[in-house]
Amino acid sequence: MLSMDRDARAAIREFVMDRLAPTTGRLDIGDEDDLIDTGVIDSLGIFQLVAFLEERFGISIGDEEITPENFGSVLAIERLVASRSR
Amino acid sequence: MAYLLQQLLIDSVHRSPDKVAVHARGRSLTYGELDVRSSQLARLLRERGVQRGDRVGLFFPKAVESVVAMLGVLKAGAVYVPLDPHAPARRVASIADDCGVRALITTAERLRTLPPRATACTVLVSGTAEGAEQVPWSALETFPASAPPESAIESDLAYILYTSGSTGRPKGVMLTHRNALTFVDWCAATFRIGPDDRLCNHAPLHFDLSVFDVYNALGAGATVSLIHEEITVFPQRLATLIEEHGITVWYSVPSALVYLLLHADLATRDLDRLRLVLFAGEVFPMKYLKTLADLLPRAELYNLYGPTETNVCTYHRVDRWKLAGQERLPIGRACANTDVFALDDEGRRVGPGGIGELVVRGPSVTPGYWGDPEKSRRARMENPLAPYPGEPLYRTGDLVTLDEHGEYLFLGRRDSQVKSRGYRIELGDIEAALYAHPGVVEAAVIAVPDDDIGCRLRAFVAVRAGETLTAGVLQTHCARLIPRYMVPERIELRAELPKTSTGKTDRTRLAAEARVAEAA
Repeated sequence: MLSMDRDARAAIREFVMDRLAPTTGRLDIGDEDDLIDTGVIDSLGIFQLVAFLEERFGISIGDEEITPENFGSVLAIERLVASRSR
Repeated sequence: MAYLLQQLLIDSVHRSPDKVAVHARGRSLTYGELDVRSSQLARLLRERGVQRGDRVGLFFPKAVESVVAMLGVLKAGAVYVPLDPHAPARRVASIADDCGVRALITTAERLRTLPPRATACTVLVSGTAEGAEQVPWSALETFPASAPPESAIESDLAYILYTSGSTGRPKGVMLTHRNALTFVDWCAATFRIGPDDRLCNHAPLHFDLSVFDVYNALGAGATVSLIHEEITVFPQRLATLIEEHGITVWYSVPSALVYLLLHADLATRDLDRLRLVLFAGEVFPMKYLKTLADLLPRAELYNLYGPTETNVCTYHRVDRWKLAGQERLPIGRACANTDVFALDDEGRRVGPGGIGELVVRGPSVTPGYWGDPEKSRRARMENPLAPYPGEPLYRTGDLVTLDEHGEYLFLGRRDSQVKSRGYRIELGDIEAALYAHPGVVEAAVIAVPDDDIGCRLRAFVAVRAGETLTAGVLQTHCARLIPRYMVPERIELRAELPKTSTGKTDRTRLAAEARVAEAA
């Protein structure tokens, strides 16, 4: 479980970079960079991301948890995943 | 009676100067403030050389200043051009060049993304002004609080809305004050919008649905809440906003409502104040519409129809009792002061049951596309029918049939225009972006029908031998040229694309393959 942090962040980053970022033209996204205002996460992308997180980490994310606070950056998503994996 | 859009404000300012007119991102402006600020902006623009008929670009995320900017430009006798704040800089710049914007209202942050261009002035809604050409928002206060004398007439342009063009170049739909007022006046009479209503602006401002929210609110002395772009991503937040702001009138594309239905627990929410739900822009899947009607037993639901070129030209009031047996929701009958009918390929009127192209005549019809007389000519035709032969008609490109109740049903498109999340998209526009990559030899974009968002975009691309392209690289390339909602979600790379016996790309086969892949 200790090594999970880095793995989780890497997996989230990979999904964001490979699946969401290309349709916005952004090539470089930092772990704390905003994903909402930049349009990296939009109304289509967010549920693809949720489906990915649920499958990859074996967690379930309720609609009420889909908030700007939980999905605003790669770090925020990682925190959400970590809080659910314990 | 108002003959210019900004005149809708006059009575409301007079009646209730202290009432909140616009709310956005936790900030609000009263009618009095909105009136003064927009007059000051008009004075500023005039002083900086903006003249009657000049185009002024609005390029910033939604804020209370958006409405100040719209009205300020109109009060200066000029024409506003809402630019998508999330579109790639290159596309925004090409639109600004296309209509020759003379001034820009933007933020320092957004301005930095654009290539430098010569303008009379740039007004910054936020951020620090640099150089004599840039004016900070705070400078408005130094200008007189009364608007410059009115010189415009109702057939002058009020705004230009850019939509996807089939050859990769966006087209600027020109709308006059009369075009917009024809729609707004019809809404006011039909929906009885009053001072106690709370409207909600969900659509982006470069999308013609926003004309309803903003101008109907202002004309009725009501309050409009502009929903900023980020909130629309989070359905629970959006539903909470509807509750907290006590929204009474909602207007959006069906996919926004479906998004709420699927993810916002509408059944648990207090939506009793919602008295009117309007939707337009795409077909509302019946299964979702039925669910929505059950969840909102007190709201009246209306399906509105019309391209940007005519704004809304037909409407249908949803009949809850008939909904169960309905397979297709009608687009309905003509709005006031609007005439619609269907013509066949020979220009003959099509009777009930027949299929024809819907054409529109009346004062809501656009004078044409900015700087493109050829496209303007093709979109319009001379009325072939008595008693008004030769009069201009707008051809919607939509195939319709008239049902036994005298209401029109939408059947499909004549061309390759599609709708995704309510956005109007020319597949050729996306293909042009793909072809702009030097490694692309052939490209075909297929729209796969989808209940939740209208359709999903799939691209098939043949790559030049020896090129090592990936789908991601091509998506990134497209995203620099076209808006996000047009970038294909999936791109499949092939050595070559299948051909028909006549040597054309076999789109039917690709469409079938895309559907199979989708189902898998």
